[in-house]
Amino acid sequence: MILETKALGKSFGRFAANADIDFSVEAGELRAVIGPNGAGKTTFFNLLSGTTEATSGTIFFKGNDITRLDGTKRVHLGIAKAFQTANIYPEQTVLQNCRLAALAHTQGAFALELLRRSGRLSGVDALAERALEQVDLGGVAGVRSGDLAHGDKKRLDIAIALATAPEILLLDEPVAGMSRDEARKTEALVRKLASSMTVLIIEHDMDLIMGISDSITVLEAGRVLANGTPAEIRANQRVQDAYLGGHSEAEIEA
Amino acid sequence: MVALTQALLNGLVLGLIYVAIAVGLTIVFGTLRLVNFAHGAFYAIGAYIGLIVAQQWGLGPALVAAPIAVALFAVVLDRVLLRPFYNKDATSQILVTFGIALIVEETLRLIFGSTTLQYPPLPALATSFTMGPIVYPAYRLLFALGVIVMLVLVWLFMQKTDYGLIVRAGVRDRTMVQLLGGNIKAASTIVFALGAAIAGLVGAAASPIYSIAPGTGFAFLVPSFVVVVVGGLGSFWGAVLGGLLIGELQSVTTLAFPSAANVVIYVCMAVVLLLRPQGLLGESEVIRQ
Amino acid sequence: MNAGVRFALFTAIGLALFPFAFHAIDGYAGLATQILIMSIASIGFNLLLGYTGLLSYGHAMFYGGGGYVAALLLIRVMPQQPNLWLAVLGATLAATVLALLVGALAVRLYGIYFALLTLAFAQMIYFVVEQSQDWTNGDDGLQNFPAALLPIGPYSIDLGTALPALPLGPFGNLSDIKLWYVFAALVLFGVMVGVRALTRSQFGEVLTAIRENEERSTLIGFNAPAYRLAAFAISGALTGLAGALRALYDGSVPVDAVGIDRSGSFVIYTIVGGVQTLLGPVIGTGLIMYLESVLSARIDYWRLIEGIVFVAVVVFLPAGIVGTISKKAKERAQKNRALLTQSLRARNGGGDSQSESNDASRRGASAPGGAQAGPERLSK
Repeated sequence: MILETKALGKSFGRFAANADIDFSVEAGELRAVIGPNGAGKTTFFNLLSGTTEATSGTIFFKGNDITRLDGTKRVHLGIAKAFQTANIYPEQTVLQNCRLAALAHTQGAFALELLRRSGRLSGVDALAERALEQVDLGGVAGVRSGDLAHGDKKRLDIAIALATAPEILLLDEPVAGMSRDEARKTEALVRKLASSMTVLIIEHDMDLIMGISDSITVLEAGRVLANGTPAEIRANQRVQDAYLGGHSEAEIEA
Repeated sequence: MVALTQALLNGLVLGLIYVAIAVGLTIVFGTLRLVNFAHGAFYAIGAYIGLIVAQQWGLGPALVAAPIAVALFAVVLDRVLLRPFYNKDATSQILVTFGIALIVEETLRLIFGSTTLQYPPLPALATSFTMGPIVYPAYRLLFALGVIVMLVLVWLFMQKTDYGLIVRAGVRDRTMVQLLGGNIKAASTIVFALGAAIAGLVGAAASPIYSIAPGTGFAFLVPSFVVVVVGGLGSFWGAVLGGLLIGELQSVTTLAFPSAANVVIYVCMAVVLLLRPQGLLGESEVIRQ
Repeated sequence: MNAGVRFALFTAIGLALFPFAFHAIDGYAGLATQILIMSIASIGFNLLLGYTGLLSYGHAMFYGGGGYVAALLLIRVMPQQPNLWLAVLGATLAATVLALLVGALAVRLYGIYFALLTLAFAQMIYFVVEQSQDWTNGDDGLQNFPAALLPIGPYSIDLGTALPALPLGPFGNLSDIKLWYVFAALVLFGVMVGVRALTRSQFGEVLTAIRENEERSTLIGFNAPAYRLAAFAISGALTGLAGALRALYDGSVPVDAVGIDRSGSFVIYTIVGGVQTLLGPVIGTGLIMYLESVLSARIDYWRLIEGIVFVAVVVFLPAGIVGTISKKAKERAQKNRALLTQSLRARNGGGDSQSESNDASRRGASAPGGAQAGPERLSK
């Protein structure tokens, strides 16, 4: 088990965004986290990435308790996140966006290198270029990233996360707002990535989810509603009622 | 004992000045998200205008003219210069308002000179209030009372009127207020002018007590920021609590350790920023990493 | 010749010619030296504001602090053998330590709170300095301390020595310049070259990233507060260095050196000159100090003009004078590059379009429209 949570919870005052979440995922799995709006999916990812601090419960990474570790440390452990809204460095070139992530990975959280240029640190450029290749943005390496199309920005966000050489990749709605073509390209990308690392993905596109996931966790009102393979989830009545509107997919297609 | 009581009374008076300036600062920040380094300028302008008017027509008219003049100035400032800065980052706001404070201070210096001005000896200021062994200037007590009344009125405005409601809601969620159709632009100008007017009024009323020099604006502004930080940026009662606390702290320290009097309030601010950065009564916004 | 060498060369030439050109516009040599010294402080301040994105409202604590420490070292520790190196070194060290202490507390705070905390500490130090008659002579400041000598090898150089006389027409006389100017110029040169290298270094790159998008920087693994602290320390060190030099040059340290107006002056010099540029703080410092000296003798309302200029720059030219010029130059250069690329393609027909668009991408053209316009034109 590469990542595990026990009774994980996050409360804002009296409002419990996440409560009592027991979650575990094996290395190499592609796990989808789904649920209606407001179910607490993004909060859950924020808890895993360290963006938000848990108010209760524990998180284990490879058996170690990382609950009190901040986000910066978790990235260095190998947990990387791509944001729901592409979070990039708009003034920098596409390549530089990735180089920065690669630099952080290679040099560590802090390095007082006042004179040496980052290019001299071995591996940085290679790591960055490889990340760009993986998301197929190598052709626009020199473009100012703020000028990219929306879909490309989201892929760049993923590339930035990849350039930190993660073991676990958290993707928060990677195809949201994309055209059909872009979504298809991103789906292929996610499949490819899942073969070399553990991927957790939040998505609303059910076709995508059912098609690529090894397993699915369903959240509702901050709690885990169900866990299982795509087939099991599709057949699960409680999930149908809460999320899929009470009809099975077969019924809808008929 | 006598000295201590007098120090406590002085602290109350000083504290109330700080409260008045800080309230303006804090509600402007709360609603407009504007950090106004020029707020002290409102105080100074009020003090000088109050002085001139008092020289000609006495204290009463001075207390009417000063806040009106300052409010007008604030409206002009808002329309002409500051609007685009409401949504900008804090650094830009500090810079532009700092520049305005500089301009105002220099203009006042050119008009009125660098030396401290003496307030005209009006009869109203001469009487003293005797309570046993303690003799205290009556004007100061009246001043304190006046500021308290003014603060109550401001509080009522915030709680009971529509504009006040918009202001308070705006502190919580500006976008929502706009979406709900609240006339936030008008409310913004009113809030800004109100904050300025309060500072101006207190400036005019306090000038018989404290000296007037071009640098007075900034001299009162910096401690007022301390008050706002200690009380909590955006909190009305925080400004009240913080102001009284800082005023008393400064006054009592002047009595006990005069050389530490100025330093102690900054120590206080540093401690608050480090232990409870949102201030005593402030909301726990994300202000630290 | 690469850009770095070119920069160093131009800086050296500029510094060499400056005092003479300055003389021609009524600037006296002493002021020239002071400008150089204050520029060091402004560069330090700008490292924090322009490159790290932190507005400090208390830099006078480093400047004045450095001055006081240097003076005190001369008065109390080595009155018999005043050694300039030690005085300056000691002061810079003290300023660095102060910056680390204040910074450790301040760098976790955002925007306004950071500015206010630095203001608070500066005010604390001001009042402490003002009150300590024994140590700092209170309101009067320290004066008349022994002039420091600069030991180099077997020699002890008095920086007050003037250069040999050589009349230069409207540019004055070579003997107007004292060795102090040469020394200050050498230090400033070193600082400029050093800070330029720093902004292009690994450290500088991360600083820029944190300034541009802190959230992302944290979540790719950079320890933002640590970087801020380091930047704050370097900034304080440079400003302290300048304060020490100024104290030694003037022969006195006024209590205003730790005052709030002094903190404000760095803000003004840097903003007017241009944040995020290396030359900006230098130009801004020079311009304002010069105008201050020339105009304040003739008009009473100099400070008012300074305030108006400052507000005008903040509102209309947020990049400052140098920043705006540099931006316009870059835009024009890009336009020219795009036009050149287009005309080359039109002349060469189809063949070279691929290599040219590769060139454009590698150069990091931020006008993708220029690079994309090519193939479309060719297809006509």
